[in-house]
Amino acid sequence: MTIRDNARTAQAGTLESMDCLVTVTESTGERQIEISGAAVSRFAGAMTKKVNQVLDELEGKTEAKSVVVSVQDNGALDIVLGARVEAAYLRLVGGGAS
Amino acid sequence: MTLNTVQRDIPSHIDGYGNTAEKLYSGAFERMPEGFGRGGRIRAVTPNDRAKLLSGVSEAISASGLKSGMTISFHHHLRNGDYIVNQVIEACASSGIRDLTIFPTALFGIHKDIIPHIKRGVIRRIMGSVNGPIGALVSEGGMEIPVVLRSHGGRARAVMSGDVHIDVAFIAAPVADIGGNISGRIGKSACGSIGYAFTDALHADCVVALTDNLQHYPIAPVSIPGTCVDFVAQVGSIGDPAGIVSGTTRVTRDPLRLLIAKYASKLIETSQYFRDGINFQTGAGGIPLAVTAFMKEAMKNRHIRGGFGLGGITGYFVDMLKEGLLKKLMDVQSFDEEAVKSIASDPRHIEISADWYANPWNCGAAVNWLDVVILGATELDTDFNANVNTEADGSLLHGIGGHQDTAAGAKLTIIAQPLMRGRIPCLVDKVHTVTTPGEVVDALVTEYGITINPNRPDLIDACKEAKGGDELPLVPVDELRARAREMSGAMEPVWQDERIVGIVEWRDGTIIDVIRQIRSAR
Repeated sequence: MTIRDNARTAQAGTLESMDCLVTVTESTGERQIEISGAAVSRFAGAMTKKVNQVLDELEGKTEAKSVVVSVQDNGALDIVLGARVEAAYLRLVGGGAS
Repeated sequence: MTLNTVQRDIPSHIDGYGNTAEKLYSGAFERMPEGFGRGGRIRAVTPNDRAKLLSGVSEAISASGLKSGMTISFHHHLRNGDYIVNQVIEACASSGIRDLTIFPTALFGIHKDIIPHIKRGVIRRIMGSVNGPIGALVSEGGMEIPVVLRSHGGRARAVMSGDVHIDVAFIAAPVADIGGNISGRIGKSACGSIGYAFTDALHADCVVALTDNLQHYPIAPVSIPGTCVDFVAQVGSIGDPAGIVSGTTRVTRDPLRLLIAKYASKLIETSQYFRDGINFQTGAGGIPLAVTAFMKEAMKNRHIRGGFGLGGITGYFVDMLKEGLLKKLMDVQSFDEEAVKSIASDPRHIEISADWYANPWNCGAAVNWLDVVILGATELDTDFNANVNTEADGSLLHGIGGHQDTAAGAKLTIIAQPLMRGRIPCLVDKVHTVTTPGEVVDALVTEYGITINPNRPDLIDACKEAKGGDELPLVPVDELRARAREMSGAMEPVWQDERIVGIVEWRDGTIIDVIRQIRSAR
């Protein structure tokens, strides 16, 4: 995934079991988070919290961009979800966080 | 509300089911029968009216006297290839018959065609396993009357004790003769055993065989004799062979699942039951098949010869029979081509009825002779209660099958499965639905090791005394639960309404749990 210049959208992850595919899209409005997958019925709150937490940290370190985040989950644990969100976001803003 | 002995709140009255006060689950072997059994209407066929042949489904429905409000039964040996349920319901709808209770041994994805007929009121009630799309419909509140779920043995018990009266039994017959003798062994739609249909054939008021393979009188061998079959109707095709039997069922190649199977096999080998004459059931899932493969090796190495293999029979069991590692197969449902061929040709491969297989209220079902059974579950709790009916979101998606019966019957009941399915832990504090009570579950085997029910100190001791600790890693249930929780995080409650959409009966007819309507949106 090498969409960096003029990035409107970026992805990280896969749809393999215990992973998730995270798509972040630049937006002008409020941050939005959409999550789909079998675990949503029992972990929607925890997943949303994790995505927000990662984005809050990243926005503190980078040139903050408002994003729409879409998570297609296939059973990712929080640690995987967080890593995928971080990777997708950094691909969108062009890296730079260290 | 009253708690049963697995701590489930059961309302004193359930609309569409009745009062529950006398029917609360109170222990695996507590409720005992009283009085006498029930049968179907007595009929007579004279030499002058011996012809039973009808030209199709509609004619059969008309001849059977089927009317609105009656109960009709089906068996599921044609599995996801079955054409009979859809054809019969369609014909009932065309004849203006409504408000039916359908009493299948199980419904599959192929039966989604009956959903419009549920919505139009042709079908008012379902008593039986509802897999897939019909389960989803029920969960979302698509039926006014709750579904009643029974195990294979519990269903046979319900028929024979009079809890359920079958007006017309429809039996898909891969081969039939004009006198009504039927079998599943041969024909283009051959399915092997038709054991689930036996009880219905013996206890229904009217029995209709539907066949695409009509033969002269009599066929041989016969599974269900024409003495209890009223009509034989010819249809173009009873099913799709590709959906009836799978090709060769395969052992899992996933290393995690192989590890689980290895631990489960080691547990069996370490138990007192691993000796000449061991009887066992393992089913057709990837892990259970791998357990069978590992056990087979161990049996060869230690020169142990088993007794019988039970249940849904696969090619793996057939191989063990051929190699002399098992003496008999007792087959209520033949899962693959090898099993179908074997039951048709080998007299040691016995066709058994649901009653013989698993009924708790007869003079001794085959499950009572089981030493070991390997089962799965969608979740287990720290009391070892198992849920096989509902998914993580609370939706009803699976039937009970023989889970309750084999767990109750076997001396060693093992649930073997990964600790996590994605983020969803398989070990929780309280299962959403209790299908099988922890008192009849002896061990949970996961990739983290073997977790033994504290009510089996003998098993724990056997594992501790055995040499080779790495192969028998014991994990206490609370430690395993903590590990699962650490990975998954806390689960939010299932989003559901009060309304009851399903009743889970224990095999003796008591209520072990209820299933409530799910809410789809938060």
